[in-house]
Amino acid sequence: MLKDITVSFAPHISQPLSTRRVMIDVAVGLLPAMAVAGIYFRIHALLLIGTCVIWCAATEWVCNQIRRKPNSLGDFSAVVTGIILALSLPPGLSLWAAAIGSVVSIVVGKMAFGGLGANVFNPAMVGRAFLTASFGVMMTTWTVPASIDAGMPDLSSDDTVDTRTQATPLAWSKTAIKDKNEAKTYSSRLLFSTVTGEVAGSLGETSAIAILLGGAYLLWRKTIGFHIPAAVLGSAFAAAAIAYLVNADAYVQPFFHLTSGALLFGAFFIATDPVTAPLTRRGMWLFGIGVGTVTMVIRILGEYPEGMMFAVLLMNAVTPLIDRLCKRIPAGGRPHA
Amino acid sequence: MTDDLKDGCTFSRGVHPPESKHLTEDRPIEPGPAVGELSILLSQHIGAPCQAAVMKGDLVEAGQRIGECQAFVCAPAHAPVAGKVKELALKPHPVLGRCQAITIEAQDPTPPSLPSFDLPADFDPARYKPDEICEAVRDAGLVGMGGAGFPTSVKIQPDAKPPKHTLLVNGCECEPYITCDYRIMLEWTDQVLAGIRLAQRACGASKVFIGIEDNKPKAIEAMSAAIARAGSTGDIRVVPLQTKYPQGGERQLINAVLGRTVPTGGIPPMIGVVVINVATAAAIADAVLYNRPLTHRVVTVTGEAIARPGNYYVPIGTPVEALIEFCGGVTEKSAKVVMGGPMMGLAIADLTTPITKTGGAVTVLTRHQIGQAKFERRQTACIRCGRCLEVCPENLNPTRIAHAVKSNLLDVAESHFIGACIECGCCSYVCPANIELTGYIKTGKIFLARQRKKMPA
Repeated sequence: MLKDITVSFAPHISQPLSTRRVMIDVAVGLLPAMAVAGIYFRIHALLLIGTCVIWCAATEWVCNQIRRKPNSLGDFSAVVTGIILALSLPPGLSLWAAAIGSVVSIVVGKMAFGGLGANVFNPAMVGRAFLTASFGVMMTTWTVPASIDAGMPDLSSDDTVDTRTQATPLAWSKTAIKDKNEAKTYSSRLLFSTVTGEVAGSLGETSAIAILLGGAYLLWRKTIGFHIPAAVLGSAFAAAAIAYLVNADAYVQPFFHLTSGALLFGAFFIATDPVTAPLTRRGMWLFGIGVGTVTMVIRILGEYPEGMMFAVLLMNAVTPLIDRLCKRIPAGGRPHA
Repeated sequence: MTDDLKDGCTFSRGVHPPESKHLTEDRPIEPGPAVGELSILLSQHIGAPCQAAVMKGDLVEAGQRIGECQAFVCAPAHAPVAGKVKELALKPHPVLGRCQAITIEAQDPTPPSLPSFDLPADFDPARYKPDEICEAVRDAGLVGMGGAGFPTSVKIQPDAKPPKHTLLVNGCECEPYITCDYRIMLEWTDQVLAGIRLAQRACGASKVFIGIEDNKPKAIEAMSAAIARAGSTGDIRVVPLQTKYPQGGERQLINAVLGRTVPTGGIPPMIGVVVINVATAAAIADAVLYNRPLTHRVVTVTGEAIARPGNYYVPIGTPVEALIEFCGGVTEKSAKVVMGGPMMGLAIADLTTPITKTGGAVTVLTRHQIGQAKFERRQTACIRCGRCLEVCPENLNPTRIAHAVKSNLLDVAESHFIGACIECGCCSYVCPANIELTGYIKTGKIFLARQRKKMPA
């Protein structure tokens, strides 16, 4: 008869799903963006991704050793952080800088808070913010995709360095805002390039097609909900449309804002990081609208051409407040005490 | 379906666990084992436990009342077989741990015979007075046989305030594995319908809906045919419901069928609804027409680790051990024995635990299945993915409540409405971090109850 009876709380069965599976799904969702980065920025793109992943994983392992905690590499979250950080970096960045960014991501962004699930800020964005603050020039030097040599006109393209660089579409539109010059002709030509990704920009953010493909996979796997991407993109589009309606000469058309810069990548892969986003659906809408609006405020009114990173970090900080604001009320209403 | 009802009604959220009903759904109800010793627990229901009405050494008749009750919310207990009272002692109880029980040594241990039920040709519930029905149900010791065990007589009592407008019959059986209600609907169809009509007569409800999940088309067909046969029952309708867990939770069922919500902390009578299970309905017919007390019930013995799963008619008080043995024993050395289904059932450590009026199933899960369950896998940190929020049928925030309990912040747990949790287990079922959310929430509820009663821990 029975020798060994197990007793535990119900339920006694569970869905075959694990944190590792969720993280691997995110990594799979990032594959198209990684592939496109590999196509346009060649071997250096893959080196950057590899460096970030290895350094993130190694840092997490060391942190766990120091804290005398069990090894947590098995959940693959460090790998995902590494990939996202790498894809948010300029393609020409030195590998040592990427390594520093990775260490900061994991140590300051994640392990200092207590590891996976406890961090307030998106670790990859913490690392990127550190790099932006520390190596400003390197972080704004944009290599031209290998497939084109001179896609853009003379704007800050410089033959003196060994690789060709040029301004990102957003940097160009920023200049357009300042000069109040014709934005339209240029942006409509460029719009196509931002969809395919054959344009200057961070590794993973250039190709709208690749990001949408990966995002669709995540949505299909139910790894992310549609709420945050929809809120980010919707609010950003609305803000861009308002600016465009106010002055169509100075401000580029709203679709251009959607496909260029980190907006799409951020909407699907960065703002949707569950740890640092609100729990409730209402909270997700608020969070997404916040990210989209802040990004556009920085793009249109601020000094930086791109504001996704700051918008995400800012909204991460208010996530606990959003969670408090959007408390779930039971289906049967508040109980009468 | 007409006007206010549509096919595939459902509540929102919930989960779709594997149904696993194929093991027993085609096995007709058969008599269970002959048992020498039965232990009738004195608390098999919600409310005050009953008082033993017999002494050690007394001889009892089959159907004799052996547990009396004084309280209003209580149900008496009866001896399922003739025999001698061996002892009054504490016996293992699936919920309470241990509970006073009357152990009866059967005079002549024979397998129970299936009850005969012939519906009188001129059966008309209108000939019974509501009080009579209620009285008969109370005397028969009927409690909700779907799991909660609320005394049925209290539910269906006539002239209650507020008046009852709707009687909901729960034939969902949304728990995986269990098929006892399904078999009852197929085999005892007329009896179930008679019980439903009697309950309707007692509580005075004008409308009756029988909610059945759409993975049981035969049961939907059988019940609809019985209603058509009985004629003049235009006020009884079968409502096919979407197959989803926990469709059979009474709050979810009311929401799915009537579109109404029971207030948090409230019970269905507050909105004029009575919910009874199909097995209870069958027992009502037995009690009113034949004066048979509730001494036997259909139990599904199932699970991948059972050699011969099936649906058995067994006396209440049969030890789980005897049932498992009767079904050919367990195919593995180690397993988990659950009273009830895998989502809400209670794992028992002591196989002498007797079957109660509310226990519709014994599910034995294999080592492999246990290995896939939460507690065996390493629990990782909550990544706030929100899956538990997405599935919670009561629209709670399980991770917040569970982590508040874990950190011993019971006030925070209360501020997130821990009391509104129905303990359905959906949150634990989906959690990718293997956190036993339901377990934490149940623990928190116990802590809070102790705190209120100022009981020592």
